[in-house]
Amino acid sequence: METKPAQPYMNPYVAGVGLGLVLLASFVVMGRGIGASGAFASTITAGVDAVAPGHVAANAAYAEYLKEGTTPFKDWLVFEVLGVFVGGWLSGMFAHRVTRTVEKGPRISVRNRLIFALIGGVLMGVGAKLARGCTSGQALTGGALLNAGSWAFMIMVFVGAYGLAYLMRRQWT
Amino acid sequence: MMAPFFKYGMFGENLSLVVAFLVGIGFGFFLERAGFNSARKLAAQFYFTDLTVFKVMFTAIVTAMLGVYWLSALGVMDLSLVYLTPTFLVPQIIGGLVLGFGFVIGGYCPGTACVGVATGRVDAMVLLVGLFAGIIGFNEAYPLIAGFYNSTGYGQLTLPQVTGLPYGLLVFAVVLMALGGFAGAEWMEKRMAARKAEA
Amino acid sequence: MVDFIRNLSPNRRLALVAVVLGLLAVVGPNPYRGAAASVNTKEAAIQMARGTDQVGVTELADWIVQGRADFRVVDLRPATAYAEYHIPPAENIPVAGLAESSLSRNEKVVLYAEDGARAAQAWMLLKARGYRGVYILRGGLEAWKDSVLFPRIPENATPAQTVEFAKMREVSRYFGGTPQAAPGDSAAAVPVAALPKLSMPVAKAAPAGAKKKKKEGC
Repeated sequence: METKPAQPYMNPYVAGVGLGLVLLASFVVMGRGIGASGAFASTITAGVDAVAPGHVAANAAYAEYLKEGTTPFKDWLVFEVLGVFVGGWLSGMFAHRVTRTVEKGPRISVRNRLIFALIGGVLMGVGAKLARGCTSGQALTGGALLNAGSWAFMIMVFVGAYGLAYLMRRQWT
Repeated sequence: MMAPFFKYGMFGENLSLVVAFLVGIGFGFFLERAGFNSARKLAAQFYFTDLTVFKVMFTAIVTAMLGVYWLSALGVMDLSLVYLTPTFLVPQIIGGLVLGFGFVIGGYCPGTACVGVATGRVDAMVLLVGLFAGIIGFNEAYPLIAGFYNSTGYGQLTLPQVTGLPYGLLVFAVVLMALGGFAGAEWMEKRMAARKAEA
Repeated sequence: MVDFIRNLSPNRRLALVAVVLGLLAVVGPNPYRGAAASVNTKEAAIQMARGTDQVGVTELADWIVQGRADFRVVDLRPATAYAEYHIPPAENIPVAGLAESSLSRNEKVVLYAEDGARAAQAWMLLKARGYRGVYILRGGLEAWKDSVLFPRIPENATPAQTVEFAKMREVSRYFGGTPQAAPGDSAAAVPVAALPKLSMPVAKAAPAGAKKKKKEGC
């Protein structure tokens, strides 16, 4: 796979229509949209529950992901996110885009880039929990349903990212 | 008039997990097709050099929005059965801001990070570690911030309810806004490319 | 017109589709049907005529005794009446709360109130909203009291009725009721007017309870 050059990405509007149809299929078949961060919250609840069950039960932020009579893993979003990994991998394989690499601009070291990735991840976790969803569950799903809170969230994501973009320019450009 | 199928009991909990997996595959596939496995491509959005994020996201929103509207208006789907995350305005505004900071610092959002990991991006793996840490941190701090987290709740709230405008009119407005945005994005990309060529 | 579309780039064709669908949406109906709903009147009428919209009290009692778990019982009465007595596995959902309840459209749901009328109204509301497995408890709580909690053997009972009563006596005891006469007693010796004051058995806590509403967010 390394021998063949990576294919160019799809026309963004066509990819967008594809993504939109997947989302629409989820609405029609399941009556719910897609998500991502919720699956990680379920995984965390499962992990912490295995170590300290009392701690999970006492804290509503953990406990809301508990399931009656089964593990928090048996959850719609967990299976959906597993699919996201598989789907992303399939698409990458077909287009020869699966390579072990670090995404960064030319002016930053790998170590610093990974530190920023870690910090970004922490902020993302806090933000997604606070907003009750991430770009998938809020912006995309709620955006298509004209959900008021989702549109407020989406605008603020762009405000936050553009607001901090200048300070972060050494990482990306 | 039988959609959403699951809510009408056409299949059970276990089969719904299979559906989840298939939906996820479709989601991940198109995210990667669009180039959302690459943090550089995602972050370029914020420097106006590559506005793919905006284009893909709003094309997807417009597609799904039109589909939802027409399937519901024609009576194929009962929109009231589609889950709508309740609005908690201020926590969602602050959460969006924090997630936006995280996006430009980390380079991925949670969904695109999964696709990045699937295609070997090490930074995406590190970001997911951070994501776990962030969620655990939030959960541990939850007793302190529960009041804020549950403040300014409006329940299930849609833009037609907020604005008092008809649903269909807002659908059209979003379509126009997106198309205007796309035209602007194409123009901006050309201008940035030209500027880069000059330099 | 055809040439115009043929000459458009793929991106512009997509944009054209979006504009047309969006423009039509301006004059289209509201996608939220709100409280309005429709019911298949023919199907409902057939069910009514055949009586397949109802479940008898002894049938329900059998299900509960057998420990079947494939159905839910809904008490439509006000919370105070529910607190006083309810059929053991019943959960309390007043009529106004049906739309927001956690009932799902494929579950078998048995509705009851004091008598049959309120349950029949609720049955129609749920049918209209696409709930397929709804049933009315025939005769409501009144029939439950008469036939299950406090069964009485008719005067001059036939042998079949006597056998039936013997069985109901067991069922009645299971639910904490009191059969009104043993088959060996002289039925005439218990005049209707002299019935002892019926005390309702205290219902045990509902075992299953209301299911938690599932979280579906991100």
